[in-house]
Amino acid sequence: MKTIEEINQKIKNGDAVVVTAAEMTLIAKDKDIKTVAEEIDVVTTGTFGAMCSSGVFFNFGHSDPPIKMNKTYLNGVEAYSGLAAVDAYLGATQPNHDLDIGLDYGGAHVIEDLVRGKEINLMTEAYGTDCYPLKKIKAPITLENINQATMVNPRNCYQNYAAATNSTQETLYTYLGTLLPNYGNVTYSSAGELSPLLNDPYFQTIGIGTRIFLCGSAGYIIGEGTQHFTEAERHHGVPITPSGTLMLKGDLKKMDSDFVRGATMPSYGPTLFVGAGIPIPILNEDIALRTSISDEDIGCKIFDYGVPRRTRPVIKETNYQELKSGKIEINGREVPTSPLSSYKRAVKVAEELKKWIQKGEFLLSNPVDLLPNKGQLVKPLNIIKPPKMVCDIERKPVIITHPTDPVKEVAKKLVDNDINHLPVVDKNGKLKGIVTSWDIADAVARGKTKLEEVMTKKVIIAREDEPVDIIARRIDKNDISGLPIIDKDNKVKGMITAEDISRLIGKKNNK
Amino acid sequence: MKAWLRFSTSIVNKSVISDIMKLFDIDFNILKADITPRGGKMLVEIDGPQASESISYMEDKGIEVTPILKVVKKDTDKCLECGACVSLCPVEAISILDDWDIDIDNQKCIGCGFCISSCPTQAIALME
Ligand code: SF4
Ligand code: SF4
Repeated sequence: MKTIEEINQKIKNGDAVVVTAAEMTLIAKDKDIKTVAEEIDVVTTGTFGAMCSSGVFFNFGHSDPPIKMNKTYLNGVEAYSGLAAVDAYLGATQPNHDLDIGLDYGGAHVIEDLVRGKEINLMTEAYGTDCYPLKKIKAPITLENINQATMVNPRNCYQNYAAATNSTQETLYTYLGTLLPNYGNVTYSSAGELSPLLNDPYFQTIGIGTRIFLCGSAGYIIGEGTQHFTEAERHHGVPITPSGTLMLKGDLKKMDSDFVRGATMPSYGPTLFVGAGIPIPILNEDIALRTSISDEDIGCKIFDYGVPRRTRPVIKETNYQELKSGKIEINGREVPTSPLSSYKRAVKVAEELKKWIQKGEFLLSNPVDLLPNKGQLVKPLNIIKPPKMVCDIERKPVIITHPTDPVKEVAKKLVDNDINHLPVVDKNGKLKGIVTSWDIADAVARGKTKLEEVMTKKVIIAREDEPVDIIARRIDKNDISGLPIIDKDNKVKGMITAEDISRLIGKKNNK
Repeated sequence: MKAWLRFSTSIVNKSVISDIMKLFDIDFNILKADITPRGGKMLVEIDGPQASESISYMEDKGIEVTPILKVVKKDTDKCLECGACVSLCPVEAISILDDWDIDIDNQKCIGCGFCISSCPTQAIALME
């Protein structure tokens, strides 16, 4: 029906009709799609979210005498310089080399500071060669005075994403934000109907060489991103789980800090908030229909991040209209939702791109190749040795006690068996609590005699079907020395201690 | 009205708080307290007909009372309007406005600090 060349001519003449994807959804509500396809020339999309797989290639220029950079740091954040002499790549999630700063100022923060024009300390070491004799440099740099700073993001703009919740008793800090215990909240990150790849779900117009909005300036799609996946379940043509991805390139020197920001996901690490927008040429009715999709028709699955495995259980299927309403029902209870990407800035991206096109400053490009839209699978990384499970480890016979047992007797049990923790169970063997030698000492000091009064009722447990590495993380995180192992009926099967784990993990590493 | 009360070492063991509740007609609500033998501070909400009398009384007894209009402050330059904080607030003080801006209602805020520790850009700070 229309070609990109025709649309570009209209843009040059100043009479192209450009709308944002959100506006398109409204327009298509009360017009037939044939008319819409004729009237609208370009739909602009936008997203502004945390995109960990982002970074920048630098060329710092040659010093005199010259150096072949080997270990390179920018404001204390390591950039990979196993490239030609003065090239390096700084990844957004790289934490600070200084452990005191750690996650608070990483690669993403350096990128933001550069864009803001701030001075950055370059520190680099080398082994020295005949042609590159210098072994160390410390020098201040700014974005302006280095040769190149090219943003190359291996995976951005995920086509849909998971929403997250947490079934466990503890607060979790994840790349999908803070997740409160007992399904306390739900977080999601896609911009829904405004999101670039949800508006062209089969990549009919998007491909290598597509000119886009990237962090406030023109950038390009240079191919499909890493983990690009095309075989997800679809509703209304759009995948309902994470699918397609993009590899993007742009010039850091032209970017705007309103659309690129460093951030730190608490207890997770640095990440870069990237603003990206793709113009979609309305070449035919089918493309017009795709871009008119509404939040209500974009499905999304809520996964339980309380299960730290590759495949997490699905708690519920929902859509972006429900997620954006701020409340969602889980197990009969209303739970608040949080977006993690800024819809406000996503709108700003789409509006900005629209303005550029309307002013004739931004022309559409014909992709040299479209992105693959079928047959792309994501392979798992198989760890050669299967993870060791809690039920696989050697266990000592379980020593238990009952809520009604006198404190004195419990004390004797602890001493006789030379142990520090004792699970408390009811007559069916089900876990009711735990006591430690410290609890007993405390009980004696305060003159308490009944175990029920001194035991800890909220017990951190290990399940038989959990990998030992996950238990190790739990022990570390809660700063405890041991926890009871229970089966699916909540019956106590034994104890696992920090010592057992270090012995086991030590053994694993020695092999 | 919300206020920070600061206690020095010499008064932590005095029962000033329970005294004001007995002596004055006030609604007194403790939102946050951090008190050790070396002194401490407390975030409270005081309302009712005799609120100001009770404050004078506390000041007489050596408690430093700092009334605050805002419990927390959001730095609009740092805030990305990502919304991560919204679902974490236990009293629904944070909301998403019609234009997708993020707003904190300081009337509702109890200073729990959840949003502060979870903000990816450290845009929120407790007003002390
Ligand atoms: S979490 Fe921080 S950056 Fe995000 S909306 Fe809240 S205050 Fe703003
Ligand atoms: S400090 Fe607590 S109560 Fe106040 S806005 Fe933040 S989360 Fe809500």
